[in-house]
Amino acid sequence: MQVVRNCTNSLKAVTFRCLSNNVKPNKQANLADTFINRNPRNLERMRIAYKPDGYHIDKPGKSYWHKLELKASNKYVTAFVNHFENGEVLKACTSEWCIKKQLYKSKDTTAYINLGRILGYRCLQTGLTELRCDIHPPNEDGKVALFLKALEEAGVKLQEPPQYKTPYPWDLHRPEKPWEVTE
Amino acid sequence: MSSVLIKIITSTLYDNARPGSLIFVRNGHHLRGKPPGIAKSLEEKLAAKNYKDPAIHYKVDIGLPPPQINKSKLLQERLKILRSRKNDPELERASRKCQLKIDIEKSYNDWLETTGPYHIRRIAEHYGIFEHLFGDAYFNAWVPLNITYGNNDILNPVYYGNVLKPEETKDKPSVNFKSDETSLWTLLLTNPDGHLTNNEKEYIHWFVGNIPSNQLDKAETIIDYLQPFPPKGTGFHRFVYILYKQNKKLDFSAFKKEGKCIDLDERTFSTYEFYRSFQDEITPAGISFFQSDWSPNVKTFFNKILNMKEPIYEYDFPPPYIRKDEWFPLRQPFNLYMDKHRDSKQVNKEFLVRKLKNVHPFKATPPPVPYPNAVFIDSSVPSWLKTEIRKSRMKWGRINDIE
Repeated sequence: MQVVRNCTNSLKAVTFRCLSNNVKPNKQANLADTFINRNPRNLERMRIAYKPDGYHIDKPGKSYWHKLELKASNKYVTAFVNHFENGEVLKACTSEWCIKKQLYKSKDTTAYINLGRILGYRCLQTGLTELRCDIHPPNEDGKVALFLKALEEAGVKLQEPPQYKTPYPWDLHRPEKPWEVTE
Repeated sequence: MSSVLIKIITSTLYDNARPGSLIFVRNGHHLRGKPPGIAKSLEEKLAAKNYKDPAIHYKVDIGLPPPQINKSKLLQERLKILRSRKNDPELERASRKCQLKIDIEKSYNDWLETTGPYHIRRIAEHYGIFEHLFGDAYFNAWVPLNITYGNNDILNPVYYGNVLKPEETKDKPSVNFKSDETSLWTLLLTNPDGHLTNNEKEYIHWFVGNIPSNQLDKAETIIDYLQPFPPKGTGFHRFVYILYKQNKKLDFSAFKKEGKCIDLDERTFSTYEFYRSFQDEITPAGISFFQSDWSPNVKTFFNKILNMKEPIYEYDFPPPYIRKDEWFPLRQPFNLYMDKHRDSKQVNKEFLVRKLKNVHPFKATPPPVPYPNAVFIDSSVPSWLKTEIRKSRMKWGRINDIE
């Protein structure tokens, strides 16, 4: 949940002067001072949501909003997207009939590549396009590396942006606000 | 006091120790609380704190019953397909050479009929959709919705949380879903995040009732389509399509709005109350949602169509923690200490006044000095002020708030 301050009041004077008398802000009086966006994923997309830091002697990999994980069983491969609070939110597995139906083997290199493509497609469909990835492929052209490559080719970024922390008034610099940058 | 105690203890330890044996002494380190392994970890503590009694906090399935499948027959069919594929040498070769690319569209359609509804429910829960629309209820989307914005050139389908810009969703989308010929449906598009006055309510963007089978053109439009308009600075809003199955033909005249309905107050809606009043006649069957954030199109929408000034918002960060002020703040730089405890607006005003002193109303401002810190500061200026001047020249610290 997000509380947003209405800063139109401060802007009103400026805007009025520029726009002369064409504007009829008759409905403006109804606006609440605070606006609450209930979308739980909004702050993460705006990069200002809380992100756990972990303890400084922890093994790295605790600080994420969404994280990619890969598990291989004896017969199948499963790729998950985990959220730090909600746990497993998205999944693709070669044991699912929709994938298995079109594969020849469910754990060979082809299966890994296709699993990457399918998970990438599902990530784009669900708007989770930036994931943290702590998977280090053992060899450069192995199964896992090809899985990650397929995922990246599908349009998923395997790196999460850092959390924006608002500067204190006495801080040296004011870092750029990510939501004010137009891409 | 504690350091003195430790010194005494360690000295006695050393005295008692046999000569030559090593003794590990922790100087000045005390273990606070229970030792690790016995004390609860952070995860355990959080789990205990966030524990919800399942007897009170349980969710109710309000959706359609799952489709009836003959499992043994399905298994036979699947095994048949798998066997035929196992004996295909070309497929084996393609798989071995990593040339086997599975058809993603086909796989998506199969997914919708098998595990898809469960995955969709999981992701909708992740986006807090059921919680904000239905409270303690949920449903599985057994009827997949196929919603696409745009013309033949660029298609923007709505899935389960993908981002679509307001200009891409200006016009009504094409909607398609599987239906038998006799059923009646209702389709709603709501925004639970965008209400400008009451944060608990939603805006309804589209309401089509009594849809015979899946022909939207023969349906009754209760509220006309309105494009998404997430105000500037409020981030990403969810726009949720929900398809309900009706038992019989319903009378939605209480919700009926004539014409384009650009009065936002009239579009105030609550899915929870709507579902409550019709829960015997309608059952949620399908869900699909997208996210949308501000774009320049929203400004023209507010100005031209809603005929009002565009509201602009900014995220309200919590103020920094400042320790209670003391009578005698010892060992603190007095100017920095006082700046912290003054009104920041007053501090900024002083900076602004100092800046405006050198600004002439009619003359152009002189170009900045290439090496600002090389400009001489009079030796009578106290050192703290010299530092302040240097900081302002380098644009460090509070001066950034007025620049």
